[in-house]
Amino acid sequence: MPLVVLLAGLVALAAAAPVLGRALGRSSCLVLAGGLAAASALALALAPGVVAGRDVVVSAPWLPSLGVSAALRLDAVALVFVLVALLVGVLVLVYCARYLDDEEARGPVPALLVLFAASMTGLVLADDLVLLYLCWELTTLCSFLLISTAGADATAAGRQALLVTVAGGLCLLLAVVLVAAATGTTSVSELTAQPERLLGSPLALPVAALVVVAAATKSAQLPVHFWLPGAMVAMTPVSAYLHAATMVKAGIYLLVRTSSVFAGEPAWTAVLVTLGLTTALGGALLALRDHDLKGVLAYSTVSQLGLLVAAVGVGTPEALAAALLHTVAHALFKATLFMLVGIVDHETGQRDVRDLAGLRKVMPWTAAATGVAALSLGGVPPLLGFVSKEYLFEGYLTAGPAAWAGPLAVGAAVAASALTFAYAARVAHGAFGGGELSHPGLHEPARLFVAPAAVAALAGLVLGPAVSWLSPLVAAATADALPGEEPPEVYLWHGLTPQLGLSALTLALGVLLFWRRDDVDRLLQRPRLPSAADAFERAHSGLVRLGDAVGAPDRAGGAPAQLARLLVALVVLAGVGAAVLGPQPARVALDDPVGWAVLALVAAVVAVAVVVRSSLVLVAVTGLVGLLVTLWLLLQGALDVAMTLLLVEVLTAVVVVLVLRGSPRRLPRTPPRRAVPTAALALGVGLAAGAGTYALTGRRELSDTGATVLARAEELTGGLNVVNVVLVDLRGLDTLLESVVVGVVAVGLVVLGRGPAGRRAGPPGPDPVTEDLVLRVGTRLLVPLMLALSAFLLWRGHDQPGGGFIAALVTGTAVGLGHLAGGRSPLARTPRVMRPSTLVGAGLLVAVTTALVPVLGGGALFEPFDPPLLSALGVTSALLFDVGVYLLVLGLAVAAVSSLDAGAPKVDGARHQRAATAPGPSGEAPAPEPAGEGAPR
Amino acid sequence: MTTALLVAVLAAGGTALVLQRGPLRLVIGFVLLGHVGTVLVLASGGGDRRGVPLLGQGPEDVPLGDPLPQAFVLTAVVIAFAITVHLLGVLRAEESAAEDDEEDADVEVEQERRARSRRAEQGADGPSRAREVAADEAGTPAPGDDGTGAS
Repeated sequence: MPLVVLLAGLVALAAAAPVLGRALGRSSCLVLAGGLAAASALALALAPGVVAGRDVVVSAPWLPSLGVSAALRLDAVALVFVLVALLVGVLVLVYCARYLDDEEARGPVPALLVLFAASMTGLVLADDLVLLYLCWELTTLCSFLLISTAGADATAAGRQALLVTVAGGLCLLLAVVLVAAATGTTSVSELTAQPERLLGSPLALPVAALVVVAAATKSAQLPVHFWLPGAMVAMTPVSAYLHAATMVKAGIYLLVRTSSVFAGEPAWTAVLVTLGLTTALGGALLALRDHDLKGVLAYSTVSQLGLLVAAVGVGTPEALAAALLHTVAHALFKATLFMLVGIVDHETGQRDVRDLAGLRKVMPWTAAATGVAALSLGGVPPLLGFVSKEYLFEGYLTAGPAAWAGPLAVGAAVAASALTFAYAARVAHGAFGGGELSHPGLHEPARLFVAPAAVAALAGLVLGPAVSWLSPLVAAATADALPGEEPPEVYLWHGLTPQLGLSALTLALGVLLFWRRDDVDRLLQRPRLPSAADAFERAHSGLVRLGDAVGAPDRAGGAPAQLARLLVALVVLAGVGAAVLGPQPARVALDDPVGWAVLALVAAVVAVAVVVRSSLVLVAVTGLVGLLVTLWLLLQGALDVAMTLLLVEVLTAVVVVLVLRGSPRRLPRTPPRRAVPTAALALGVGLAAGAGTYALTGRRELSDTGATVLARAEELTGGLNVVNVVLVDLRGLDTLLESVVVGVVAVGLVVLGRGPAGRRAGPPGPDPVTEDLVLRVGTRLLVPLMLALSAFLLWRGHDQPGGGFIAALVTGTAVGLGHLAGGRSPLARTPRVMRPSTLVGAGLLVAVTTALVPVLGGGALFEPFDPPLLSALGVTSALLFDVGVYLLVLGLAVAAVSSLDAGAPKVDGARHQRAATAPGPSGEAPAPEPAGEGAPR
Repeated sequence: MTTALLVAVLAAGGTALVLQRGPLRLVIGFVLLGHVGTVLVLASGGGDRRGVPLLGQGPEDVPLGDPLPQAFVLTAVVIAFAITVHLLGVLRAEESAAEDDEEDADVEVEQERRARSRRAEQGADGPSRAREVAADEAGTPAPGDDGTGAS
């Protein structure tokens, strides 16, 4: 329960941060720091129990079908990382209260920092791998957003950080999936308690490799370290938090957590020690090479993380204890150094050591704190950094498996630490040392600004001699990370041990490097190193170009180019089908003279449609094809379908004519060079479709479902028209969704007609009355008849040919006719109740209500019922549903007619005609160009 | 056999239309391809049972057609109609957008022409003044200098 309070409180604090920021400006950061301090106090209150071995646990089922639960567990390992994240968070937020200005404090940074703390806390508390992965990605997102707050400069850096860490996150996800597949559980505590469950599986090796990759990306190991220095573009508090306590420590946490399973495996040790020490050395060299204070610190983090990874890789209790201790030490001195460099940057506007000097004279406290933190970083006794480094050396000495491995590892660590001392000295000396003051007129910054850094520096100073205070926590954490092993105690003075000699050697080498710093600098600046960040950017832009090339055909001009590929794919697919299709049942022989006649006519008419260049002829010919297909449907006994298609054809013709009013009558000529491929592809598609139809139809008896439906339709629904029964009763949901599609198109048409592109297609102006007397008189007579007919068709649809679709199309045709005739014809203007949106809304309401009413009574969706009152009139629920369908389809028809109406034919003469009839100011003959209205002369 | 040939003819015709130039051909091509779907799905019910599936209303000896493909096709026909109309709507919106562009261009040309004729009128007062005006217009436009501005 306390854990839920802890996490929920942090999330609530993050949510409140923007409100606080707007109300209090930068002082809101102090409130947030107070919140984090309260959370830290809660964690500290739980600490005694946890150190004594009583884990705090809470769990709730989350995805029970997958065995995933939202489980939290606070053991000593988690406690170390939680305390680091929260306490450093307190310091960073206090620092923010002076570093940020009010405007920045109103921005997203404080909220994101708190959310970052919450994600990190969730990550280390998670006792389920899925939850752990979720929080892992949340920290990635938080860091990306925080880096991106630095504005346009941060785009590339933010993208690098995101892509690298997300790639690692995906590896972690894959590892989680593999673990679940191999062991059947995602519980962290179960897995760490029974390592053989995973180790016994053949998936152990891939899981270990994926975990290492995930941790390496998160903790910025070579060669994917480059995102961390790139992230320096973020503001300093963000860098401090990212480097010291969160994000990069998540990788270390993951490795410590998985140690109970993998520690002791020779491959695990070999990979992690090699990776870690290479990174430690490389990072230290790069840090010594850099002149930007933040850059030095960034590479320093890379290097120190390398030492941590290597120590975890060694896998002995001593090495793990050293890693945990150094995690704390690093958090303290790195947070201090970042905050102090931020102060220097804030006050002087400079971060290059070559431009800074002598600042100790004006900022003594800042200089003192920097000095203490740098000594801790350099591993000078008796600071905490010294103690933890001693233990690291001791850990590396025990590195297996070969006898030479330990000395080699220690040698690399000593070299990296000597370099560390050199750059730590340079940070302190470069900015604050030296005789001349580079920036006169400065003074010590506000006390609150220095205080957080000073507190952290002091903690590093005190905790060195008093390291035994940390001993119970470190020992308990080591015991939790490596169950069954004897954890070591930590204390300052060990006597004259090999480690002490190594420390002395490190310091001597470090002093030497600092003494000869100019020579060292010249040596280091000489080689031009390949930049991993550049390589990443090149690979990234290459990938983008590849995607561009792959997608290029999709941006080719015109529909034909895009359709051609699909059609070619269809032909190829048909070829594959022909190759793999086995023998089929024999065809049912059929004598079909009328069918042949229809076919011959269709072939002739389609041929005309393909070559004709008049748009009106094309429309007419298409109507003819529709009629012939309708005839064919009638021959097949599909009466309802035939009626529907006939009406659709009529309505399509009406709409096309409405659209074409005012469009060019001639269709563009197809260039001869395109004629041959077009013809070839058309023949191919025709052949493929025809062959497929021949091979796959007309060879089977009536389907079982069809037979059942025919046999039981009347008994089940009382309807005699089985097609309509299928539509409104048996497959009502299907029909409902299809009607919704139709309604969506209707609404889309209305929007199209209203949008900026189609604003002239809006409600048509007063159309001139058509001069066609037949159309005018015919419309007056026909429209009422058609409305009556459609009502009749709707009414009897359940038993006789008809139904909602057909009735709606009849009404729609009447509306179209009215529009065509214009003037005072009935339905020339769409009445208010027949606006498409009204119809679609009403239709949906009726159809969905009819479907849902039986559910309210405990029945099934679309179960037939007797509507109250109406049932006395013979109205069934099927009819009601059909009314809904009717309204939806009518909505489409009306939308088509009214939105697509191009208005009166747009002839150039119309404008002249208006100009001629308009009363001219001076009775002049109409000018060829209309005179400008109101133009100043 | 007739079904297969009908599908072949319609598919070939529809393909030939969609691959040619002109949006109207595209729309009509899709209508023909819609017919292909109709005929094909209906054919899956079997071409030998041709009785209209109305119970107890036809001659006894004609086997009734499979009602399921018919019901599927019926909604499919309506949806094909919806797609056709939607295509027409897009076509229409594009056309009027193009007209807008043309008209905007016409208006700009007209304004340009008027501005030029006005300048020519002012030029008739004296060449020196015309030069002044031209210089003024090239520099900061005067507040009263409206009508010619590209609004």
